[in-house]
Amino acid sequence: MPIAIGTTDLISILPIAIVSLFGVYLLLQSVFAPRMNRILIPYLGILGVGLAVVGNFFLIGMEGTAFEGMVRVDRLTVVLNFLFLITAALSLLITISYHEGEHVEFLEFTPLVLFSTAGMMVMGSAESLMTIFLGLETMSIALYVMAGFRRTNRHSLEAALKYFLLGAFATGFLLYGMALTYGMVGSTNLTQIAQYFTQNALDVPLVALMGLALIIIGFGFKVALVPFHMWTPDVYQGSPLPVTAYMAVGAKAAGFAAILRVISLSAFSIAFQWSEILWVLAVLTMTVGNVVALVQDNIKRMLAYSSIAHAGYILVGVVASNDQTVPSVVFYLIVYLFMNLGAFAVATMVAGQNERRVNIQYYRGLGYTQPLLALAMAVFMFSLAGFPPTAGFIGKFYIFSAALQSGYVWLVILGVINSLISVYYYLNVVVAMYMQQPVDEKKIAPVLPGVGVVILVAVLGIVYLGIFPGTMLSVLR
Amino acid sequence: MLLQYIPILVLSVIALGFAAAVLILTHVISPKVKDPVKLTVYESGLPPQMEARLRYPIRFFVVAMMFILFDVEVIFIYPWAVVYQQFLAYGSFIFWEMLLFIAVLFAGYLYLYKRGAFKWE
Amino acid sequence: MEMASLLNYTTFLPLLGALILLMIPKTEEVLIKSWAFFVTLTTFLLSLPLFHNFDGSRSSIQFETIKSWIPSIGAGYHVGLDGISILLYLLTTFMMPLAVLSSWSAIQNRVKEYMLAMLVLETGMLGVFISLDLLLFYIFWETMLIPMYLLIGVWGGPRRIYAAIKFVLYTMVGSVLMLVAILYLYFLHYNFTGVYTFDLLQIYTIDIPFGLQLWLFLAFALAFAIKVPMFPFHTWLPDAHVEAPTAGSVILAGILLKMGTYGFLRFNLPLFPEASVHFAPLFLVLAVIGILYGAWISMVQRDIKKLVAYSSVSHLGFVMLGVFAFTVPSMQGGLIQMINHGLSTGALFLAVGMIYERRHTREIREFGGVTRVMPVFATLFLIVCLSSLGLPGTNGFVGEFLILVGSFQVVPAFAVLATVGIIFAAVYLLWMFRRVMFGPLTREENKNLVDLNGREVATLLPIIVFIFWIGFYPRTFLDKTEATISRLAGTMEKARAELHLEKQAPYWKYLVWKGNP
Repeated sequence: MPIAIGTTDLISILPIAIVSLFGVYLLLQSVFAPRMNRILIPYLGILGVGLAVVGNFFLIGMEGTAFEGMVRVDRLTVVLNFLFLITAALSLLITISYHEGEHVEFLEFTPLVLFSTAGMMVMGSAESLMTIFLGLETMSIALYVMAGFRRTNRHSLEAALKYFLLGAFATGFLLYGMALTYGMVGSTNLTQIAQYFTQNALDVPLVALMGLALIIIGFGFKVALVPFHMWTPDVYQGSPLPVTAYMAVGAKAAGFAAILRVISLSAFSIAFQWSEILWVLAVLTMTVGNVVALVQDNIKRMLAYSSIAHAGYILVGVVASNDQTVPSVVFYLIVYLFMNLGAFAVATMVAGQNERRVNIQYYRGLGYTQPLLALAMAVFMFSLAGFPPTAGFIGKFYIFSAALQSGYVWLVILGVINSLISVYYYLNVVVAMYMQQPVDEKKIAPVLPGVGVVILVAVLGIVYLGIFPGTMLSVLR
Repeated sequence: MLLQYIPILVLSVIALGFAAAVLILTHVISPKVKDPVKLTVYESGLPPQMEARLRYPIRFFVVAMMFILFDVEVIFIYPWAVVYQQFLAYGSFIFWEMLLFIAVLFAGYLYLYKRGAFKWE
Repeated sequence: MEMASLLNYTTFLPLLGALILLMIPKTEEVLIKSWAFFVTLTTFLLSLPLFHNFDGSRSSIQFETIKSWIPSIGAGYHVGLDGISILLYLLTTFMMPLAVLSSWSAIQNRVKEYMLAMLVLETGMLGVFISLDLLLFYIFWETMLIPMYLLIGVWGGPRRIYAAIKFVLYTMVGSVLMLVAILYLYFLHYNFTGVYTFDLLQIYTIDIPFGLQLWLFLAFALAFAIKVPMFPFHTWLPDAHVEAPTAGSVILAGILLKMGTYGFLRFNLPLFPEASVHFAPLFLVLAVIGILYGAWISMVQRDIKKLVAYSSVSHLGFVMLGVFAFTVPSMQGGLIQMINHGLSTGALFLAVGMIYERRHTREIREFGGVTRVMPVFATLFLIVCLSSLGLPGTNGFVGEFLILVGSFQVVPAFAVLATVGIIFAAVYLLWMFRRVMFGPLTREENKNLVDLNGREVATLLPIIVFIFWIGFYPRTFLDKTEATISRLAGTMEKARAELHLEKQAPYWKYLVWKGNP
């Protein structure tokens, strides 16, 4: 069996290749370059991501598989690539501002972000279970290291170890599920899996269902679905803020990309088998995330639980399993990118040196000491809570509309009640910023340009997608 | 039918039951003498000299990790070598592919070297 | 200028004004205030031609704009006015300059942010009244919450944070369920016609099965009943009013509460006529309970502002009574009563704010004999009180009279009970007035009270003009609503007839029902 690798194959992984090459290059740069030039590394990383974005434009309009059915390029791939690359670029911008205040060597940080982004893109463009696994591991291993980057901080080490051990455990589930699926289908190719499920839709063998269930557990861990969410608060709290931001957005988006590829698209014809399970998971995830977030006073933990809750909302779109699923989920991921990265960028600014000021009490009076920063944070909070005219509203609206189209009235009602609960804790931050007096007179450092760009981009993205979502929605359809 | 498996079930019950019975019986009927000599660690009959658990310098682990890493990568070269001749007929891609692979590995090696992973002190 | 585009301009003018306001430096407080006043006043003046050109003899939507907004899901920018919304639109543009004027000296800190919130709020409120697209309506409806929340929470009284959160959470409880109902209607319309649209006028045309109507009606009704607020959902109101700054209370009572009653007229009645008829008894009972309960509670209040707040519950009960009696005079009366309540209660809050600014207390027992030192204030306050309790010759009488006449034809017992509510209103308002204004000047602090200045008189006077205008010649306003209300009454009449024919559908099945709507 000859394997012919043509130009099409290479173009289909162009952004991935660019990001990986830059990763390797910057890894060497970080040790070979004189100490002076090392501060340039994050900027070079952004350059690499920018080149990958350019490379991604070549993928627009392509439709098909490459590398003998290992990689798929379609509109979903292109959009997800953009999503991951923007996440990486914005996270690197936050990093530039971050390590000015931290006495941690951030040498390998940029290459790790790039490797992990490459992994995410591999997941987004997977056409085979093998490819998904490859991408997942590339992404995760880089993230495990990044979580422990504040080597002298106990919480950071705890985060890394916890994430690594539990992540490896979940990978075991995932791999077992893939093995079972392969055993039944006889192929890891997603198209063939889809064919298999369509042919046996009425009488799916138990083993194949078990395989699917184990795969759901594996992905559920990555996107922090309840009851596989236990690691999230500790890891989010312990990791350095830029990593938390990157992880919260990128890893979640990659996990949902895989869920879309494997569950929503490949196992579409047996949706009736898994949608009930995911229904329960979605309700649990939303409820636990929101209710526990109510009592958090650490902004990182609050955002961690909020990210669990948001995974629940996104899962509602997956449960819907109709033609709205993919556009609504991807739209929500895009919106989530902006609002979450923005919120973490503000949190980075407020946290200051060694992340001492991560409690919500430090946000008191921010509306008057740092009006613009507080205004941006207010926009992010209102968007996370799903108030119109922010993009958070349109995102939720679209997800719930997808679910209602499939007739899940109760799921949608539980979803909106949950977003009601979430209003309380998001507004708590707004209350602190605008309605309370500062706890101490310590001035927050002026907003650094890197973070400033991130906040600006995030605010503009939220407002634009909130008021004129039409263009984006028609692209995704 | 499941009936044909009954002998296996019976056998397992007997086996498990026998094992459990022996363990419990020895525990119950054996004489119990608790003196310091009895409680020492058994080291081929000689009195123990020091703690059995040794603390190795962290360097050992780093080296072990790197060994495993590069050792495992070599595995990829075996299947490649097996099909090399066969695939050469379809172009030289297979050659450059492995070169790229080794180049990436080499980059990792250089990084480790500069970062001081091989320095013992 | 073409009226349709004028409607768009007036709606978004405050938002534009807010953007320009952003560029004014924080320290130029007088300039900021003047600019906000100028913008709101211009908005009002520009909205006058709308009123003038509005043809009251047509029941259709006028000054309509239809633009595609999110084509992929069928949401459009569809706005326009009809007999229901024209008066409320004008009320909003009219009250805003007064609200700005009333905050002139009451708001001392963070003036810029305050005026920004006011201007954004105005666009939000105007948007609610003109939206004819369900998604657009919902967006304005929720957007408006944010500035109001900030107004209460930042510039409010001592328990402002509690009140602000309570306000937001209460309002959202209702509106999230309304969102589900909106989505449901959207797919229902698709199933009937094969077109995805949020356009209200198109959704009006589908004939929703009765069993389904009941659930959708309840989902919408909860949102609006909380906003009104109807009797069991009113507990957020006193907190919000007492803690809000004067202008916040004026807007809250004058305009925001009207959105609830407006919602019933715009959405519940025309969309679900049979369900409305079905639930009318329940809502009539709640309305009457609201009238009596609100009046009762008002009587025992020690705080003037709380008294006025509870009196709102009572007055809005009248509006709901009028709306759910489904006769032309009662619904017209309800509509006029919304305007009246906006004017009278707005003026009451303004007056309370004026006296609070002087004495920094609102306890009734702290006052007494104020007439002697503030004769102008006493006169104006008396007029406002009389209008609020419905003295003939003032606007309050016209509204309440029409409601009582209209509802007496259908539910005489309720009309009689509501009349008792009017008597209560006279009791609590006049009693409060006597304790505050008459009697000996016992308190030392009250002896040095300064009477109203020109600005304060200018705030109250326009309202008093309208109090008498509506009181003596309501036709100017009633004429505009005539045709629309008649048509709505016709719809309800038809629904009443059809409800008897409608098989009592087993609507419980819709609870467990799953599948495409």
